[in-house]
Amino acid sequence: MRIGRATTWRGAACAVLLLVAGVSLAANWIAPEGYAKQYREAADAPPSHAHWLGTDEIGRDRFARVLYGTRISLLLAPAAALLSTLMAALIGGLSGYLGGAWSRAAMAVTDLFLSLPWLFLLITVRAVLPLNVSPLFSVLVTFLILGLLGWTSAARVLCATSATLRDSDFVRQARASGIGAVRLFWMHVLPNLKPVLYAQFWISIPAFILSEANLGILGLGVAEPMPSWGSLLKELEGLVSVGEEPWKLVPLILLAIVVTSFQFVLARQEEAAA
Amino acid sequence: MCTQHRKSFLISIAACFILAGSAFGQGELRFCLRSEPKTFEPLKVEDEASATIRYLTGGVLVRMNRQTQALEPELAQSWKVSKDGKQIIFKLRSGISFSDGTPFSAEDVAYTVQQLMDPALHSPTGDAFRSGPGNVETKIISPTQISITFPAPVAGLDHQFDQVAIMSAHSPKKEMAVLGPFMVDDYKPGASLLLKRNPNYWKTDEQGRHLPYIDSIRLDIQPNRDVEMLRFKRNELDLINTLDSEYFDKLGAISPQLVHDAGPSLDSEQMWFNEVAKSPLPAYKKAWFRSEAFRRAISEAINREDLSRVVFRGHAQPAVGPVSPANKFWFNAKLKPESYSPDTALKALQAEGFRMENGTLKDKDGNAVVFSIITNSGNKYRERMATMIQDDLQKIGVHVNVVTLDFPSLIERMTQSFDYEAILLGLTNVGLDPNEQMNVWLSSSDNHQWNPSEKAPETAWEAEIDKLMREQASSADPKKRKEAFDRVQEIVFEEAPFIYLVNRNALSAVAANVQGASPVILVPQTYWNVERISLK
Amino acid sequence: MHSAKPTDVLLSARVSVRYGEKPPVLHDVEVSIRRGEVFGLIGQSGSGKSTLAMTILGLLDRKKSQVEGTIQFEGSNLLQLRERELRELRGCKIALVLQSPLSSLNPALKIRTQLKEAWRAHASGSASDCDAAIRAAMESVSLPASDEFLKKHPSQMSVGQAQRVLIAMATLHRPALLLADEATSALDVITQAEILTLFRQLNRTTGMSILYISHDLASVAGICDRIAILHQGTIVEVGPTGEVMANPRHEYTQKLMAAIPQIMRPIATATAASL
Ligand SMILES: Nc1ncnc2c1ncn2[C@@H]1O[C@H](COP(=O)(O)OP(=O)(O)O)[C@@H](O)[C@H]1O
Ligand SMILES: [Mg+2]
Repeated sequence: MRIGRATTWRGAACAVLLLVAGVSLAANWIAPEGYAKQYREAADAPPSHAHWLGTDEIGRDRFARVLYGTRISLLLAPAAALLSTLMAALIGGLSGYLGGAWSRAAMAVTDLFLSLPWLFLLITVRAVLPLNVSPLFSVLVTFLILGLLGWTSAARVLCATSATLRDSDFVRQARASGIGAVRLFWMHVLPNLKPVLYAQFWISIPAFILSEANLGILGLGVAEPMPSWGSLLKELEGLVSVGEEPWKLVPLILLAIVVTSFQFVLARQEEAAA
Repeated sequence: MCTQHRKSFLISIAACFILAGSAFGQGELRFCLRSEPKTFEPLKVEDEASATIRYLTGGVLVRMNRQTQALEPELAQSWKVSKDGKQIIFKLRSGISFSDGTPFSAEDVAYTVQQLMDPALHSPTGDAFRSGPGNVETKIISPTQISITFPAPVAGLDHQFDQVAIMSAHSPKKEMAVLGPFMVDDYKPGASLLLKRNPNYWKTDEQGRHLPYIDSIRLDIQPNRDVEMLRFKRNELDLINTLDSEYFDKLGAISPQLVHDAGPSLDSEQMWFNEVAKSPLPAYKKAWFRSEAFRRAISEAINREDLSRVVFRGHAQPAVGPVSPANKFWFNAKLKPESYSPDTALKALQAEGFRMENGTLKDKDGNAVVFSIITNSGNKYRERMATMIQDDLQKIGVHVNVVTLDFPSLIERMTQSFDYEAILLGLTNVGLDPNEQMNVWLSSSDNHQWNPSEKAPETAWEAEIDKLMREQASSADPKKRKEAFDRVQEIVFEEAPFIYLVNRNALSAVAANVQGASPVILVPQTYWNVERISLK
Repeated sequence: MHSAKPTDVLLSARVSVRYGEKPPVLHDVEVSIRRGEVFGLIGQSGSGKSTLAMTILGLLDRKKSQVEGTIQFEGSNLLQLRERELRELRGCKIALVLQSPLSSLNPALKIRTQLKEAWRAHASGSASDCDAAIRAAMESVSLPASDEFLKKHPSQMSVGQAQRVLIAMATLHRPALLLADEATSALDVITQAEILTLFRQLNRTTGMSILYISHDLASVAGICDRIAILHQGTIVEVGPTGEVMANPRHEYTQKLMAAIPQIMRPIATATAASL
């Protein structure tokens, strides 16, 4: 009974994700006018038949922007999260498993990473990039950077976890069965890091979506006129009266729904693996 | 009989007090400083918060009426500028003393001017007076008369004294002894500042009542505009000096009597192309940007009406040039904003050898016209303007990439590496006089943004601007100066080194209990007549 | 000890082990295990029993420990083998069963996966070969070889079942020697008896030798052919179980005997004698 209910929830979560992904992939058909068209006579308009979610400050159809923004963020944020999770697993998990000098070196690198003045490095990245890059390239680079930088805190946890795993009875038992080192890491250590890896993965998604928007400050992230969830959320900054214009909250609500759904779907995987 | 008389006398005194108390001499005016004041020394003022305190506490010889933009006598009853523009003679009021009781005389003016011009003190206010090498000479003719002679002519000499708060030569309280309507009573760094009325303030109103009407001013240090707005709505603040157009509309929708749109301000938003010869841009792009026809065409293809209407919700006007129409005297009224006409723009470009190919404009060598506009991140109005310009220019086949950068990076590109194509920024003008823009127009200046620090003017029109700016600066004749500066405005319009976009309106909010406030476009918009403001 | 014929001796070790700069944990310990016998190694906790098991398997951290001596097993000195050769021995020729069954199984994996992994470590057959081997091993420890059971995670089993799975895993490749390190110490008395019986049965049916390590003399006396008493890093007494128990010579063995409850002693001695 209990399992049944949980399964329905997860099924619903899966359905929501598929629906959101499907609709956003069909953005070209659903919103053929695109995300950049400015209806200047109807700027900052409330929802209407023509603009289901109203228009933004310079008259762009918010529904279209949400659709296209979803496409960008829903595709790229999980990809970046996956990248950072894999890096965390490899750097943290492997070094903890190998122990000794390996783990000391990996943690030193992690500390170094954490202590680097990222702001300046990112400014440098922006300075190195040419100014004339397409909005899509800009957002791709940004998510790549996020993926490459986002692994540090998880790596520490993973290093510690896999160090304890290395000395655990079942790993000793497995070694005594003659299982090789690589196989041992893959089959016996990694599966036990899954809870941390899943957490890293789904925490990274919303974190990256928001970071992408914040990196706009440094001239990174998605560039006008392309929308992303981050840039849509930025609209909410300093919104004086949310109560009067609830439709402006749609990107936020959508983000919450998608992240929660991700959690549900992943929770199932985690349980299946446990 | 006797007792009864006395009683009624007491009652009438009490009534008097109550009356006086209710109408005048009571209450606290509250508004926000948007940053921590850096100094209380009037001569060292550079930041906005310190300037506010100087305005509220400092006594000046002459004051420009922020409404009429005319100069009015204050501590000086009258004054006279010499023909050559080097000397000014002030006739001072008598019987005035500082807030601590120290009497005011010509000695204090002499002391202040010496301090102002002291190279060791390096007063930012003094910079406006430093027109040539040499020392300032102050001569006290009598306790109420003083002559001040500068080594070189100072343009708009009398107007410059609006910024000079007179300090006491003798008071042990130094800069805390003031001549203005208020004095600093309590300062909690990071939190708030309390100003109390100056009991020795010399001014009275037409009925002979001592000014100011209000007892005290509480200035809360609050950089966050959302919080400021929220507190205003909760009646915890009485004034908001510069309001965002979004807030203006939101607040105006609820209570229209609280918001004031004083019309276009002196501030302008503009964009410009990089015309620096040694910039790292490819030669063909340099050729575009250094072409007057290209710049004018881009300017014509920008819909300024839409920028004003959409980005600023109608609280801005298409800009004409470096002088806002709000600057009543100096604005060249013959000029009108560039009219929006993409067709004319395209024709002009085609005449220059550009051509349209599948919706993309290409120059005569076949290079697609693509450039980036950078603006400072975090300024949503500029980001929106850039996005609208991007859309406008797409119509003539020009592809724009909008890049927002943190301010330091932007400044670095703008002043050091010259690695940019176009920049969209705003310019804040505090003063009205063209001399305040000197550093922008002289081709040798490092603030000559589109092509800074030219060894010699690189174009004929820049040479002409140099000449005209020098001419107006060295003349004391307002008419001649106006003629010269009118011509500068015309050249700037024709050559479009800066593509002026809009002048934002001065928007402010005044709480319902504030009486006598009449917001203007000049700083300080809402409390320029603070001594005559009272609270219900 | 050296009187036994070479063919009779499966493993003969003479080792000293120390961790770091500390005094040696094992000091010139001599053990020889004959083919087909259950050899008991008894010693109090911390006396170095597990260290000996790990030394035999070559699983001691080489950086943290020094091992001297020889361990002869099937014609080679284990201490001189390379890691790759040792890996081929582990689980195939010499297997291990640890003390606490639940923590010795990987909580993240289904038991079928774990058994498969253990099988794959030394065999490269088809999936059906693997299934057959797993099925046989499960049957030999009296566990159901059903899909339903094999799909379980360790947390879904009882301790006794888990220990049987471990034993199935250890005996998958029919090793010549099984090291049982406190294999029954964490179990309740009834399960303990069942597992002991299972060990004895495996020993009889397959002829594999068992090095049975325990701190508890009484509980293992019943299944051991011979026992050695390890005390403060050295073997203080070794011999057939009945002899040692009936006639403890060393002071420490006498103490051990004294620790066995009075009522248990005749039973223990009797069972030992009957084996
Ligand atoms: N990895 C190790 N590093 C240092 N000392 C150890 C290590 N493993 C065991 N020891 C020490 O060696 C001694 C014997 O331990 P162990 O072989 O586990 O004993 P037993 O299995 O008989 O209880 C103990 O004193 C223990 O503290
Ligand atoms: Mg042990």
